[in-house]
Amino acid sequence: MSRQQVRGNPGMRRGLGSRTSNPTTMMEDPPSGDWLTLRSDQFLKWVDDAVYNIAEQTGIRDVVNRVTRPIFNWALRYSPWPLHFGIMCCALEMGAAGGPDHDSERMGVVYRSSPRQCDILIVNGPVCEKLRPKLKTLYEQMADPKWVIAMGECAIGGGPYWDSYSVVAGADTFIPVDVYIPGCPVRPEALMHGFLTLQKKIREQEPGYFLRR
Amino acid sequence: METGKFIQQLGKHKGTSNSSALRSNVGCISVTREASPAFFTALKEDYAFDHCSLISAVDNQSGFELVYHFSIIGESGQMLEVHVDLPRDTPTIDSITHLWGGADWHEREAYDLMGIYFIGHPDLKRVLLPDGFAGHPLRKDYVYEIHEEEW
Repeated sequence: MSRQQVRGNPGMRRGLGSRTSNPTTMMEDPPSGDWLTLRSDQFLKWVDDAVYNIAEQTGIRDVVNRVTRPIFNWALRYSPWPLHFGIMCCALEMGAAGGPDHDSERMGVVYRSSPRQCDILIVNGPVCEKLRPKLKTLYEQMADPKWVIAMGECAIGGGPYWDSYSVVAGADTFIPVDVYIPGCPVRPEALMHGFLTLQKKIREQEPGYFLRR
Repeated sequence: METGKFIQQLGKHKGTSNSSALRSNVGCISVTREASPAFFTALKEDYAFDHCSLISAVDNQSGFELVYHFSIIGESGQMLEVHVDLPRDTPTIDSITHLWGGADWHEREAYDLMGIYFIGHPDLKRVLLPDGFAGHPLRKDYVYEIHEEEW
């Protein structure tokens, strides 16, 4: 494992500059006086870096990855929690997909009201200029890994409002979109198919890392 | 009060014209811009119209037209439609927010989308569009240039 791959906070290194770093050490110990000067976020960052560097250098991380990838991937695949956020008529179809007829919960799709607890942002309607910064904030508030579903014509490319003075022409102009579901409005079956497509995408592309960086 | 009589009585106010009864309890009347403040005050205080349901702005190319809908919430259920014509180069009129508080956002909307300035409005700013928006999009002569170029 080369030295360049060892990650760390450059600011922290500068803070510990009085001490000469030894390339063979796996873990950088802060000098005893610096323990007291660390803020909590700096301390967490230091612990995070230390554990990551040890796991990376000893090769434990690669071994654990082989075990965790299928498990983490399976867990992510069958618990994609979308944000309970409705813009326009596709939101009703989203409600229908969550209802007893189609019951998206059997695939682990549980709607949550806080972006902090969500993996999927479903953009289900035309995004107007005033909503765009708010939607972007919601997307940024979601924890990684996260995916975006553009549901319906409006979210894909503006739909019938493509030449409007206030509607953004597509959600992918400001956030990365993973799955596009056409329809006006999208039928609940199509939304279920979208969730299954996303599951397939997660199965193929989600690495499921132990100690994600 | 019967609608016909009521409309006749309203038609005696200064600056009014074209007073008629549209339906059994809906009246319609036109007022000039100069006479409108006194007329609206009389509507509120003498005729007890306690609800301003709607203010809509119409672009007639030659000028603007404001259509106010007032109603009496109560047994009579009387409704009144007031038309005010505004010239195109100076689309301004006195605000009625001090009479009907509910007119606040109606006037802001008319300002936002049609560019009609309500004099004396406490907080005349955009309500539907973002603050930095240029122009008033529901005017007939409004052109959205960005999309014209794109498509």
